[in-house]
Amino acid sequence: MDWLSRQFSTRVIVLMPIAIAINIAVGYTVQTVLKLPIYMDSIGTILVGVLAGPIAGALTGILSNLIWQYAPGIGGGTIGPFAVTAGVIGLLAGLWGYLGVYRPRPASGTQLYGAALVGVAIILVLAWRIYTSPVYGGDPSTGGYGSGVYLVIVGIGVVAALAVGGFIILRRDAAGAWVAVAGAVTGIVAAIVSAPIAAYLFGGVTGSGVDLIVAALRQGGADVFNASLGQGFFSDPIDKTITSFVVYIVLASLSTRVLARFPLGERIAGSAAAY
Amino acid sequence: MAELEAPAAPSAPSDGSTAISGRLPDFVARPPTGPYRRLNPTTKLVIAFAEALVAFGVRGWTGPLVVLGVILAGAVTARIGRALLPYLLATIPLVASILLINTFLYPGATDRIVTVGPLAPTWTGLVAATQATLRVVAFAMSVALLGLTTQPDHLIADLERRGAGRRVMFVVGATLRMIPRMIERAGEITEAQRARALDTEGRVWRRARGVVPLAGPLVFGALTDVEELTMALEARGFTAPTRRTVLRVFPDSGWERGARWALFLGSIVVLILSIAGRLEFLP
Repeated sequence: MDWLSRQFSTRVIVLMPIAIAINIAVGYTVQTVLKLPIYMDSIGTILVGVLAGPIAGALTGILSNLIWQYAPGIGGGTIGPFAVTAGVIGLLAGLWGYLGVYRPRPASGTQLYGAALVGVAIILVLAWRIYTSPVYGGDPSTGGYGSGVYLVIVGIGVVAALAVGGFIILRRDAAGAWVAVAGAVTGIVAAIVSAPIAAYLFGGVTGSGVDLIVAALRQGGADVFNASLGQGFFSDPIDKTITSFVVYIVLASLSTRVLARFPLGERIAGSAAAY
Repeated sequence: MAELEAPAAPSAPSDGSTAISGRLPDFVARPPTGPYRRLNPTTKLVIAFAEALVAFGVRGWTGPLVVLGVILAGAVTARIGRALLPYLLATIPLVASILLINTFLYPGATDRIVTVGPLAPTWTGLVAATQATLRVVAFAMSVALLGLTTQPDHLIADLERRGAGRRVMFVVGATLRMIPRMIERAGEITEAQRARALDTEGRVWRRARGVVPLAGPLVFGALTDVEELTMALEARGFTAPTRRTVLRVFPDSGWERGARWALFLGSIVVLILSIAGRLEFLP
């Protein structure tokens, strides 16, 4: 049990409420002020998972949603039951932390362009998997989504690939490829975990900007579960990839001295001194 | 250990709607009177948990309607009927979304109510939408009832007295205190960035560009507080291995303990029966 208690040092215990408050404040601001079809409510969860480990990350995610649901003034809505998803996101973030995914990897020349190519290729493979998914197949009259959805998938895939490639080359940091993969995988898992919750508890509708996507998919003839899953495959990988890059930039901006004080700090600090 | 209750505010009427209560949190201006409010904080938490479980677990009309009836009874007993109204109004965007999408776009439904151009609402969709709406409203009201009748500090103190982890309770308590500060800080940052020409009302792309200028200062500002708070906690013996002395003990009678356990276990049994399909005879 030593590995577990190490995840909950006083510094981590202090970081957790701040991380939860960041989740709620940024998520609330992005969803209500900017009104975007993404969530941005996992920055703190991923931060704690990467810095402290999977259990601390999962607990941060679960408590974020439960407290948000019950918080006076800003509570309500449908956020509470998605605590399961938030817990899984935190768990995965802890795994990425152990694997050192968020460690800066300064590179140049062939290594840098190779990493950019790998990052772009992985994003395109993920987009291709979504493009060819049976969820989106078929004629609208028999339960498919219609051809418009393919154009959106291609558009999002190209923009994401350019963003990842640009990030790696401009920052001269090969870690961008790993961060993109971690974000995309986290997003896909989050979409799979969220779909049954949204479909079963709320009829596939959650009252946020993503309902427009659900409506479009329903219009194409998708059933309640597939519409939720389809919406999740649109929003979650984008949301979690953006969140992963935000967390990476935050971590790269912190000094090695600060990072090293957290349980997984040494796995992240690496060559952070280069920044 | 003396049993303590929250101090009653002077001259607050039963519905808590004084000029003062418009400024202060509801529980400050409201005396802790009435049978519902006098329940132990953990009992009220278990009631909210059971209500949520039944509202979502028992499909059809029965689950949400029974829960709404229980909530109404609790609200009348606690005299917070009017205070529940803002929470009810807050569900309108979600309810509107559920009603519109399900009524007009319910997959596979063919029993049209009326056909107006491309729009064809269906009875199947309307029934599913109404049931989903009742579930969401019941859930929201159960949360509101707990929030309006229970002071968070009391709930945390009671849970800690029952052996809930000190660290988890600290995280919950500190978060509840921090959220209003953080929301306030986010608002200040938003205003400051708007003054620097950040567009929060334009097209999606323009709004998306606002994420970093908003989230960056908020996150970095909060992270700078970690070291200071860690030192403060360590200086106050937060990691001391000894058990903390309990300052407040809330009344918890034998019948209340029994009722709480019965409610907790009963709601889980109902959920299991519902999943097993043994409650399908209910409407």
